[in-house]
Amino acid sequence: MVVSDGEATMDAANATGGFAKHPPRRKVIIDTDPGIELIAGGHRAVPSGRVSPGFGFGEASGNLDLGAWCCADDMMAIFMAFQAPEVEVIGLTTIFGNVDTDLATINALHLCEMAGFPEVPVAEGPSQPLKRVKPRIAYFVHGSDGLGETNQAKPKGQKLPKSAPDFLIEKVAEFPGEVTVVALGPLTNIALAIEKDPNFAKNVGQLVVLGGSFNASGNVNPAAEANIFGDPEAADVVFTAGLNTLTIGINLTTQVIFNEQDLCEIRDSGGKYGQYIFDCCRFYHDWHLASDHFDGIYLHDPTCMAALLDPTLFTFKKGAVRVETEGLCVGHTLLDMGLKNWVGNNPWIGVPPIDVGITVDADGVRTLVKKLLCSS
Amino acid sequence: MAVQTENGGAQTTTTTSKQSSSPKKVIIDTDPGIDDAMAIFFALKSPELDVIALTTIFGNVQTTTATVNALHLLEFAGREDIPVSEGSKTSLRGAVKDRIADFVHGKDGLGNTYPTLSDRKPIDTLAPDYLIQKVNEFPGEITIVALGPLTNLAKAVEMDPTFAKKVGQIVILGGAFQVNGNVNPAAEANIYGDPEAADIVFTCGADILVVGINITHQVYWTGKDLEDLGNSSSKFGKYLYKASHFYAKYHREAYDIDAIYLHDPATMVAAVDPSLMTYATGAVRVQQEGICRGLTLFNNTNKVWHDPTDWCGIPPVKVAVSVDSDRVASLLKERLTAP
Repeated sequence: MVVSDGEATMDAANATGGFAKHPPRRKVIIDTDPGIELIAGGHRAVPSGRVSPGFGFGEASGNLDLGAWCCADDMMAIFMAFQAPEVEVIGLTTIFGNVDTDLATINALHLCEMAGFPEVPVAEGPSQPLKRVKPRIAYFVHGSDGLGETNQAKPKGQKLPKSAPDFLIEKVAEFPGEVTVVALGPLTNIALAIEKDPNFAKNVGQLVVLGGSFNASGNVNPAAEANIFGDPEAADVVFTAGLNTLTIGINLTTQVIFNEQDLCEIRDSGGKYGQYIFDCCRFYHDWHLASDHFDGIYLHDPTCMAALLDPTLFTFKKGAVRVETEGLCVGHTLLDMGLKNWVGNNPWIGVPPIDVGITVDADGVRTLVKKLLCSS
Repeated sequence: MAVQTENGGAQTTTTTSKQSSSPKKVIIDTDPGIDDAMAIFFALKSPELDVIALTTIFGNVQTTTATVNALHLLEFAGREDIPVSEGSKTSLRGAVKDRIADFVHGKDGLGNTYPTLSDRKPIDTLAPDYLIQKVNEFPGEITIVALGPLTNLAKAVEMDPTFAKKVGQIVILGGAFQVNGNVNPAAEANIYGDPEAADIVFTCGADILVVGINITHQVYWTGKDLEDLGNSSSKFGKYLYKASHFYAKYHREAYDIDAIYLHDPATMVAAVDPSLMTYATGAVRVQQEGICRGLTLFNNTNKVWHDPTDWCGIPPVKVAVSVDSDRVASLLKERLTAP
């Protein structure tokens, strides 16, 4: 078997003992908006009147000058994929969302290097949604001075010269039916690939999406979840394109929670990511405490990755999903549950069905995430 | 029931032994409609309620048909003392309604039974004016049970800034909360009938209780229940059995069930005995554009939104979230089969 240097390195890093003894690993591309926010001097804009004093944010300017904090759940999901023996990460593509696309790219390169997979290619996506101005999704507030003024090591690697949609098109054409794309941010790259290459939809093995809120409240507003809100037109293109798609919404991910004890276990596991994850999650944890009044962090992206690794931890409903692109419910995901034979036409009729996560074994997912993040 | 005088609320208490306090003054805003007929008959047989008027609206049928059906149902019930006020023939923004649910309720709205219609006429006052007049006459005392699109109520809210504060309660059949609609996956029929009006009503600050199809799809009569109505000694039971054939056929075709949903009657039960449901409180907005036009979206979280949303600062309403469906269906059956 001829393998590239990259594949050989990854295999060695996983210590799986060579390809021959194992079934082929699933080729995975992670489309992501990893928001590692780099903070100079600990200064950070805090929305006034919304954060209780005494919790992390209130104290940020005084005590919490760690140099980096991040949208911890993207990072955890990426580390999970690197750790999972049944998965081969063949690339990362980046998109805006938690941060701007250019910073997402730097962060993706950084995470690959941190994880010991510097050879994994990173292709950058566009900086704007398909048809609108990027919404300000202000969960995570930018550091005032960006990367330059921190002690964080800059990534050594470079992004690919080709764009994320082109990279996606090329890879699924190279391995038709074999590539799983995991989309953890707004779906702009996937929509662009679908629009550019008529064969893309049928070449993709599976698309696993973190996005939407099905029969539950959103997190940007009561109607919309952040990833879909980030590019509703793209999401509607992707959900209706006929790909083999599975989507995990925040109706499920808000059921899967790490509390402080879980984070301490990961820190103390001896795994190589433990301390890093703990540090990042502390900020995320404090945000949840202030924003949602609960002591824990939602495992949005890790839950989505768990759906790829072990779909038996979920139940799914198959049906047409459309995304609202107008009005006050822009970004709302709506699944036809298939309970009625409709009279007349409607925008859901004739749309190819996708799998939507309806229930989750939350303890099972938590255990899987912890296992992967503690092992290394 | 022996009450024949107009606005005979006080007298109805004398005919009821169960009720210690005086009955609620109720105006039913309606588009009859088979399940509207059930709800109206049930209200007339409920000692807890004093039906002081019917106002009409398009929906299951056009407004003019709703008016003649309302007059007919009252005549059948022997309640020609109750006035009927005709409502809007178009949506709030003037759209002529093309979607009439004749495939659910029949061409005549009454299951294609084509009963002999009443000679009586609606009163001269139009429904929005009538609603304003009555809530000003009895401030805090009038319950409006809205069984169709909310056009008349929205017009009243727009015409009289004090309407929302003076109405006692508005009990609404409408919306689909965290479930699919019945017109399409996004929208329930009454809200879809006039989304702009619905958004005005839901956000007006009145005491509002909403019963959506997430509730009413749990409340049904089976084919056997309908036969029991037909075999009862109640003229209402026999009437509704006959009118329900068409409605039951629609349920078999659309939902693959041998049963009928009790949308309007279940909502009337909420006016009679709200303790048979539980409620969550929060802002409700109605989507007016796009593919989800008519979607009702309820902020039922205690999340602190990072940025202001279109739900912030909106007066909360009560949304029914659970129902004792057996007791609701049996209360309806009990009163509509009683002689």
